[in-house]
Amino acid sequence: MKISELESEIGFECLQAEYEDAVLSGGYTSDLLSDVMANAEEGSVLVTIQAHKNTVAVASLTGVAAIVFCNNRPVGEEVIDAASQEGIAVFLTGDSQFLATAAIARHLEQ
Amino acid sequence: MLYRADFHIHSCLSPCASLEMSPSAIVEQARLAGLNALALSDHNCAFNLPAFDACCRQAGIECLLGMEVTSVEEAHMLCLFDQLDAAMEFGDAIYTSLPEVRNQPERFGDQPIVAEDEEILGFADKYLISASTFDISTLVDMVHALGGLFVPAHIDRAVFGIISQLGFLPEEDFDAVELTPRGDLSLAGRYPVMRNSDSHQLDSVGSGYTEFDLPCLSVAALKEALKSSGNLP
Repeated sequence: MKISELESEIGFECLQAEYEDAVLSGGYTSDLLSDVMANAEEGSVLVTIQAHKNTVAVASLTGVAAIVFCNNRPVGEEVIDAASQEGIAVFLTGDSQFLATAAIARHLEQ
Repeated sequence: MLYRADFHIHSCLSPCASLEMSPSAIVEQARLAGLNALALSDHNCAFNLPAFDACCRQAGIECLLGMEVTSVEEAHMLCLFDQLDAAMEFGDAIYTSLPEVRNQPERFGDQPIVAEDEEILGFADKYLISASTFDISTLVDMVHALGGLFVPAHIDRAVFGIISQLGFLPEEDFDAVELTPRGDLSLAGRYPVMRNSDSHQLDSVGSGYTEFDLPCLSVAALKEALKSSGNLP
């Protein structure tokens, strides 16, 4: 599954489209960023409700390629700016982390 | 003047604190513990600051007026002011931003608002251990705009510290970082350090403290001292 398919196949809203499209290595779901830092894999998608710029910093440090913010959490300009600088794709969904993760997992298996 | 300061003390308003922690009892205990500078810093609420301010004045102990704010990252941030009105204004913004989750006293503990003489004036309705909607950068700006001091709390703790939540210490305009009394100084990076007790019960007031040599107890004087201290304590 490619990053762009988070929008085209699953229907998440793309908030930051300046990224290089690539096949996702997997995914990680967590709202504790120290846990993300320890366990997220390079090239994966991060599913979280932590919609602030430190999430982008952690994504950048771990090589996470895309972030999906859940529950329609408000996403500030500074988050989009930081992600655009790092080339990290950002998506938003009204789904919970559980539902977003389930949807991504189904597509990753295909 | 040499100040022995404990700037992180919870009153009975914090549901996790002992009910014996009235502002007047805290001030009396602080005097016994040899402290001459204090701050009250309840979770996400300023309702006991007026009584605390009055008790400190009566006892001739200088104080700051604070709060321990939970950022949207669910990290605890110590926010300290030297003006009651600024602290109350900031407290209003924080309390308003908390989710509409009511406290359940039988489960979480009471959240009494008290007067100088320990009379109970009412109770904080919202559950104070919830998180505010403000991220760390926004809180830094809000506190500085109101003339306050911004200090990420107990950064060495395994829970609710900025490092435990984010995995790292971000580059921000922090005036200092707080360590627990025996916390590892190397975690503080480039930031100045203060140590406090984070007391939730009377017998631990003053169990953590920092000494400052200041012309007077004010945010400006503290900022100056922290800047030049490096991370000595």
